Amino acid sequence: MAHHKEIFEGRTIEIKDGVNLSINGKEIDCHHDRVKNKFYSKYLPYTQYDSLLELAREIAKHAAEFSHAKD
Amino acid sequence: MAIRKDANTLTAAERAEFVTAIQTLKAEGIYDRFVLRHANASMGDIHRCPAFLPWHRRFIFDLELELQRVSGNPNFGIPYWNWPSGGTNASMWNDDLLGGNGDAGGVVRTGPFRAGQWTVINSSGSPAGPLMREFGQNGLPTLPSQAEIDQVMAITPYDVPPWNTNSNPSFRNQLEGWIGPNLHNRGHVWVGGSMLPMTSPNDPVFFMHHCMVDKIWHEWQLRFPNQGYLPANGGPFGQNLTDPMGSTPSGQIGSRPIDVLDSAALGIIYDSAAPQPQPQPQPQPLLIVVGANPTQADISTPGEADVFRFDVPTFGPHTMFTTGPSDTFMTLFGPNDRNVEVASDDDAGENFNAQITRNLSAGTYYLRIRLYSPNATGNYAVGVRSDGAGPSPIPELIVDGVSINAAISAANESDVYRFNITTENTYTIETSGATDTFMTLHGPNSQIPEIDRNDDGGSSLNARIRRQMSPGEYFIRVRHFSPLGTGSYSIRVIRG
Repeated sequence: MAHHKEIFEGRTIEIKDGVNLSINGKEIDCHHDRVKNKFYSKYLPYTQYDSLLELAREIAKHAAEFSHAKD
Repeated sequence: MAIRKDANTLTAAERAEFVTAIQTLKAEGIYDRFVLRHANASMGDIHRCPAFLPWHRRFIFDLELELQRVSGNPNFGIPYWNWPSGGTNASMWNDDLLGGNGDAGGVVRTGPFRAGQWTVINSSGSPAGPLMREFGQNGLPTLPSQAEIDQVMAITPYDVPPWNTNSNPSFRNQLEGWIGPNLHNRGHVWVGGSMLPMTSPNDPVFFMHHCMVDKIWHEWQLRFPNQGYLPANGGPFGQNLTDPMGSTPSGQIGSRPIDVLDSAALGIIYDSAAPQPQPQPQPQPLLIVVGANPTQADISTPGEADVFRFDVPTFGPHTMFTTGPSDTFMTLFGPNDRNVEVASDDDAGENFNAQITRNLSAGTYYLRIRLYSPNATGNYAVGVRSDGAGPSPIPELIVDGVSINAAISAANESDVYRFNITTENTYTIETSGATDTFMTLHGPNSQIPEIDRNDDGGSSLNARIRRQMSPGEYFIRVRHFSPLGTGSYSIRVIRG
């Protein structure tokens, strides 16, 4: 997945060069644990994911920065 | 003083006091400062690392001071979320405390922190909608059980290299949740919603959750008083015992791990209403006979560790080893204490097998075997052999004779000496030099019973034992106070 772009639950997820992630144009700090082969980010500090796209979707869904929830 | 109680046991008045104090801090803008302090911390400073526990201990301590201020109650303590009894139907989720689960869309619509009454913020401090919860909906449907907590409570040491999510064995890593049954991380994921991102303190249950984490660490510290915080030094900056922790402001107490190690000194008291985790009766490890054929074993679950014991009747060189196709890692504990680490090894044996050769004094020793990779499983065999034709002599100290010069040359090393007392009198055994020594006295006529111990009774950081002693042969064991410390010293025995 060198380049990927999708709209997920109303947020634009873009992955460039397989490693550079942005959501709604905002660059997202993310890392790869080579020992466990898992992806993780400070946006979701209690979980790790098998793929960068899976991580991106979860950030888009849960991080307060991208919240669509209304009172 | 802060009296921390099980959230489910709070009285109506205590519930109202907690809610009012949290709402007051929110109105003052102070609550959101705590959210931002957590949200904008560097992840490597506070999660996936040794400082995870002391950082959060200081964090909730600081909020507790604010709660005491606005409540006017100097004994106000953050309630803890007792996970085994804190599921969906627990009273802590009632409308008079935290409110309950989110609706179909995850929005919390009950209790004092419901939509319209409580707004979360993002990491920039901007309002970001209502509080969200999705109990058990994010892949982890259950909360930690007491058995799982007890399992983690038995893990030592505090932490090990590489000081991250791959550290094993590591109490910190198991409590944080990256290996083992997953305690802390699971609580966040179980609540879901606003508890998932770095802004998780937006949900007041965050503080109850970390109060529980802190309580478990506190109880582990009481259970293993010899297992200190690690790394003492040599770890990443911000993680060592005396490094200032990242994203921690100056305050009533210091910002280093060493400043927050003692909960009692911080004035924190946990209630006795909830069942206290009892020291888990540890099953007697399988006995290895020295010199017998290696014992077959296997690591059938990733992250598992096997423990064996063996008895050494007299001082002498011994080799502890594994054989087989697995990449084993071995840690030796003892004598007569399965929490005192003597040495560890990864690949000193054949292929990727672990092997430790060492002079051992009489006593019972424990071998913990795991696989180097926390994700691997595999078979191995473990054995112990006595090396050499006979026991090596233990260096003898002569009463009122010359000092012996020696050194603790490796982490966890200890030296043993013997000396003979012929007439009952008062005797002093002491070290000298620049090394922070720790000394235990054993006897008479056996290396096993410990009759005295001392850390800094001598000059500077030296150990000194002065006591009345009856005739017989005695043994002195000297180690560095720090499990990782090394250094030279001299030792002598004098009458008087």
